[in-house]
Amino acid sequence: MTQASKPATTQTVPVDMISPTRWIERGWEDLRANPLPGLLHGLVLALFGWLLLWLARDRFWLLAGAFSGFLIVAPVLATGLYHISRERAAGRKAGLRDVIALWKSFDGRLVRFGVLLGLAGTGWVMASAGLITLWSPVPILKPADFFRHVVLVKEVGLFEAWLVLGSLLAAPVFASSVVAIPMLIDKSVPVSMAVTASWRAVADHPGPLVWWAVLIAMLVGLGMVTGLVGLVVVIPLIAHASWHAYRDLSASKSPAPASAS
Amino acid sequence: MENTIFGLTEGQIAQFGLTFGVGAFILYMLFIVLNLALESKAGKFGTFIIFLVLSLGMMGFMAKNIIQWVLGI
Repeated sequence: MTQASKPATTQTVPVDMISPTRWIERGWEDLRANPLPGLLHGLVLALFGWLLLWLARDRFWLLAGAFSGFLIVAPVLATGLYHISRERAAGRKAGLRDVIALWKSFDGRLVRFGVLLGLAGTGWVMASAGLITLWSPVPILKPADFFRHVVLVKEVGLFEAWLVLGSLLAAPVFASSVVAIPMLIDKSVPVSMAVTASWRAVADHPGPLVWWAVLIAMLVGLGMVTGLVGLVVVIPLIAHASWHAYRDLSASKSPAPASAS
Repeated sequence: MENTIFGLTEGQIAQFGLTFGVGAFILYMLFIVLNLALESKAGKFGTFIIFLVLSLGMMGFMAKNIIQWVLGI
């Protein structure tokens, strides 16, 4: 069965502050139209998250490192869903077989990008460990220590500094990947060109992309506070929506003056 | 006995993290700013960084307060 009877919206739309919610809407349509691959991705990633939580439950820094790496590399793992959204936009239906074929192609550019993201995650954990170890009055060895002595302290200080440090690292990582990863699926371009296009898109639309990053963080946060169960839906939703973000961002240049037409 | 993680003391990890982690991070930021400055987009990219840090920081701060409120702290 093809999607020809109900084609997805294929036109790109100029990027504005409403765009991120529109991307989520289109991502939701893609997920509803073809839920199995997306939900399977979400389930596998949630199961992997639970496994990490269980394996590193008493070793905070191992857990933090593994979990940060897991979340940062997740966009590369979700590339199959970009492919599904792209096929739907073209009026075709792609399934798990297409996703597996994409993975089996073992695209060196995606592997390199994934490794770079993993390194960024490692840098974050090291910087984070340095900050917390220097600042915290007690050793942080278990996840419970982190919540008790960093997150739940009344005073403003360490947790807020930790957030600023994390956001400072997240910003270039997000800017480097928001357009780059879908572009690597869509076009035969080198990683450096995809990353430059990604930075240019962010510089062209700083407001909408800050809102997009905040929406992603909120959705992932919601997925995590539900004991990772919410990630089963959140991961594919963000992945499909990311494809639509890429489509609009790669088609849109700097905001043009209002047209009379 | 002094606590160790992977055989490193807290002081060593802190020193290593701050020296190399933050140092590499600053170099990374400088590289990005330089790259974008060359394309005359540094202003807008800077806006993005500042607003993202502010937004995520604020969101985290709110999350902290909500967690504290839920736990009755």
